[in-house]
Amino acid sequence: MQEQLSISRRQVLKGAGAAALTGAVTLMPTGKAIAARGEAPRWAFIVDLRRCIGCRACTIACKAEFNVPLGAFRAAVYEEVTGTFPNSEKLFLPRLCNHCEGNKDDKVPPCVKECPEYPKDRREFVTADGKKIRYRGGATYKRPDGLILFDNKLCTGCGKCIEACPYGARNFNKLLISGKDSTKNGITKCNFCEHRIAKGVTPSCVNICPGRARFFGDLNDPASEVSKLNKQFGLVEKRNETTLLPGENTVPTCFYIDSQGALSKMAAAKQKFEKNDAILDVI
Amino acid sequence: MKQEINRRDLFKLGIASAAVLATGKAIGSSALAGTVDFVEGGKDFSPETGAERQMIPSACWSCVTRDSMIGFVEDGRLVKLEGQPNSIRGKGKICAKGAAGINQLYDPDRILYPMKRVGKRGEGKWKRISWDAALTDLAARLKKLRDEGHPEKFMFHYGRMKASSSKIIKSAFLGAYGTKTIGNHTSICEGAKWTGQELTWGKHYDNWDFDNTKMVVNFGSNCLEAHTNSIPVSQRLISGIVDRGVKLYTFDVRLSNTAAKSTEWVPVKPGTDRAVVLAMCKVIMDAGLYDKDFFKFIKATKNRKESTDAKIAALKKHLDTFTPEWAEKISGVPAAKIKSIALELAKTKPACVISYRGAVAHHHGADTERAIQMLAAITGNIDNPGGRCRGVGAKWKYPKGPKDKPKAKALKITNGFKGDIAYPTHGANHQVLKMIKDGKAGRPEIYMWYCYTPVYSHGETQENIDILKDESLIPFTVNVNAYYDESAALADLILPNPSYLEWWDWEDMVSPTQIPEYYIRQPFVKPLGESRDFKDVVCELAQRMGFSLGFNSAEEFVKMSCEMTPDVKAAGGFEYMKKHGVWHDPNAKPKYYMYKKEVKTEDLKKDGVIFDEATGVYWNWKKAHAESEAAAKEKGYTKTKNAYKGYVGQEIEGKVYAGFKPDKVNKSGYFELYSELMEMKNLPAIPSFTPVPVHEKMGPDDLILTSYKVSVHIHSRSANCKWLTEICHDNPGLINSKTAKRLGIKTGDKIKVTSEIGEITTTAKVTEGVVPGVISISHHLGHWQYGRYASGKKSPFAGDNDPDFKLKTWNTYGVHPNWIIANKPDPISGQWAMLDTVVKVTKA
Repeated sequence: MQEQLSISRRQVLKGAGAAALTGAVTLMPTGKAIAARGEAPRWAFIVDLRRCIGCRACTIACKAEFNVPLGAFRAAVYEEVTGTFPNSEKLFLPRLCNHCEGNKDDKVPPCVKECPEYPKDRREFVTADGKKIRYRGGATYKRPDGLILFDNKLCTGCGKCIEACPYGARNFNKLLISGKDSTKNGITKCNFCEHRIAKGVTPSCVNICPGRARFFGDLNDPASEVSKLNKQFGLVEKRNETTLLPGENTVPTCFYIDSQGALSKMAAAKQKFEKNDAILDVI
Repeated sequence: MKQEINRRDLFKLGIASAAVLATGKAIGSSALAGTVDFVEGGKDFSPETGAERQMIPSACWSCVTRDSMIGFVEDGRLVKLEGQPNSIRGKGKICAKGAAGINQLYDPDRILYPMKRVGKRGEGKWKRISWDAALTDLAARLKKLRDEGHPEKFMFHYGRMKASSSKIIKSAFLGAYGTKTIGNHTSICEGAKWTGQELTWGKHYDNWDFDNTKMVVNFGSNCLEAHTNSIPVSQRLISGIVDRGVKLYTFDVRLSNTAAKSTEWVPVKPGTDRAVVLAMCKVIMDAGLYDKDFFKFIKATKNRKESTDAKIAALKKHLDTFTPEWAEKISGVPAAKIKSIALELAKTKPACVISYRGAVAHHHGADTERAIQMLAAITGNIDNPGGRCRGVGAKWKYPKGPKDKPKAKALKITNGFKGDIAYPTHGANHQVLKMIKDGKAGRPEIYMWYCYTPVYSHGETQENIDILKDESLIPFTVNVNAYYDESAALADLILPNPSYLEWWDWEDMVSPTQIPEYYIRQPFVKPLGESRDFKDVVCELAQRMGFSLGFNSAEEFVKMSCEMTPDVKAAGGFEYMKKHGVWHDPNAKPKYYMYKKEVKTEDLKKDGVIFDEATGVYWNWKKAHAESEAAAKEKGYTKTKNAYKGYVGQEIEGKVYAGFKPDKVNKSGYFELYSELMEMKNLPAIPSFTPVPVHEKMGPDDLILTSYKVSVHIHSRSANCKWLTEICHDNPGLINSKTAKRLGIKTGDKIKVTSEIGEITTTAKVTEGVVPGVISISHHLGHWQYGRYASGKKSPFAGDNDPDFKLKTWNTYGVHPNWIIANKPDPISGQWAMLDTVVKVTKA
């Protein structure tokens, strides 16, 4: 199954003279799966921990956007009290799918690698200037713009992607039957609100965040907010300090501005931050 | 695929419309990068089909902030709530509680039909009845009391009822009916703060101008998690901290989220903030760092004509013993810390001193608020850009109900026991049930409560249950409610209200920018089941009793108000508001320094205006309904009942200023640090330190029990929201590690917490995030009703159609602390001194 949108969509885009909505992707089966080229957006998500007030508006906005069933979270906030009274501090750490680039060798993130239904159909991503980038679909697959997406039609409900994700960003969706095995559930995970960004609207959690701690945008666009923040804080360059579990070598595209060293402190506290534990928002 | 065709079609439309979204942010950037300059909101789409969801503007009602918001409807169902991008208050943001409002609407345990008790009160046996049967019965009972000349025996007790809801139900309906036995909930919230403000600067409500401030000193506010103007101020505060380097010092018992984001959390022992504030005032006065100019408007001595130097000298003298070292002994805050923050505050201009329940829900809490007002005043941070400002909200015009309202009567049961409370300006309603039991001030025959839960919200839970259950004390109980909570379980009649997402209102909450914002609430969907907005119901009840309110529904009232309010009418009236939800005057200037405005000479010459030499107040004895001019002059402004209602202006050094207009008490137009009203009641004229009496008698192993709010729950009324309760469904007692060690308690231990009135068993959580000597337990939880998500218990006639039921991950529901908190009031304001409770904590 593929979506057939390519030509007309591109024409519409060009006709309107707007690069506006390129996030909405063109999907056509051709060629072999390849990694994103420069022309595709390079989506990144940045959480500015200085601005996170631990309010959980992101968690709830995400629940509502996708009607996420109880027991599963696509977005969550972790909190931890560290230090010794009266020099104690309380840290917050929003969590979501890191939309990993995958390691340098194969550029395939672990969830995609483990998916038995990947690679499947041949697809094509058409950039704003009309370039076609070929890639492969699957139950879990990586799009040339970096989004790690899930296609339930192809899913067998095996749960290997859940096991493979070191960040616990995937969960069974107990209200969704997997497309290929009616005895199993499909999964739920953050997709950076692909349906919203396709229409030029920020992801739901970015929209609601009262602290304006969440940023989504294109690192290939030097004028984007994420590019500016990347430049200011050296997020990509210092990815060992700005991403979660760098030792896993998954190369996340979700970065943290972390002035308090929250990432390492919370990892050290290990209370709710063990590898593979499904992300969970419980105070 | 059908779906794809839809998406493509939408996409064509998408380009044109996306460019002119509500935020007005232009789209378009480097085409080569193939990127998008995203709009922040205003639109939403189905993740399944990509189809655009229908947007409707409305307003939140989860807490009193009442953010304007937008919601998205898909196939007739509300699916998503977001902030209103065009609101100057919320700037497109809402909180977790607001976004989870959908759970309030679709709570499967909602009450959808009128219900009548069968069996004993509180037994849990109910019969579904028709609205006609319910209103026939209720109207007959109400009419009988009214016809007998005792409308006051109908008591109406509300929790949240603001703006048009208040005007329709309280002013129009209850006013026309003739009862003034009306209770509110302010004493369980921040009554002491309001009384403290009324005694100093007149009207209540302080807006914190975070957009323009450079420093914030916070006593007991957790405004990043919960506040009366939460989203408007929290986003501005965090932005100030990160973008402008605003320093924030938070004095709190607990490491709240607000404390967590502060430059420094300064732990303070419960009930001792005032000692710190007084010491800070002393440091500033002694260092000569006060704002001398503002002293012109300050009353600091009995003699109002005292020179500024004499006022300063008097204040210094008063503060003389309140040294930082003295305050350290009381509060646990190091003297050096008090000094350094005080000096930084005095030198940083402008700065904002803020406060909330942590500081004021104590014995003499109103005096703490007065002291905090003093700290803001002497540093020149009153009503100034970046300071502590008087609240500015929308001024709607609206239909007032029938003209020939009777003179309303009241049972004197809403202000606490006689002689207990000096100035209960916002009531002492947590004591209502106690007073009904006492009976000396009379008892209502019909007790109706609305968006309130007297059983759960007050202290002394068991007594509340016992009294409300007792038919000999209260013959008939009616609850207007959408949810079967602990109090609804004790009603004789339940009228099913919709959720706020199904009703009409106009709204007027304070704006953080000092520019008023007008906004409305409109339904996203029709009321579910047979639920009916109580505002519509009172229109019918009035008619059944033979009078008319002059409008037939809340929608009509809102429509009329939009047409009656000149600015809103000019903007396009009701149709504009339905389409846009929110309006403000783009040319309006923020309101600061309102006290400096001079009163026009002709206003002083108006009929009935007289001058009171003692206070320097010009007031209109006729507007104050004094007996006669002679009587008004003889008694004087301060001692004439309700003289403040006639306030015109304040004479200061030969000029007459608008001053700090009084409200609820006969304060002068000065900023009163010296209060004759306090002195008259043998209370400290100038803010002073009075220890919490029960804390003076504490044994070495006693702890103080405090409670608090979390970011994902609303007061008493959100445990039914599955998405919120999924995040927070337990509330262990927080104990500092040092205290826990001394008591031999570890995290997870079952503990008994015992106060003078009872005992609860809960779980301990040992933490570095609370001061030693305290156990802190959040409220919100520990429900034994309120449906399956809140308590595991199904409500009468509830449905089973929520697929999430079988996925519920929790079976703990927390423990309510109010069982063991006595309903003691602050003797100044009537505020429930809920944070003073002394307890013993032992392993269970």
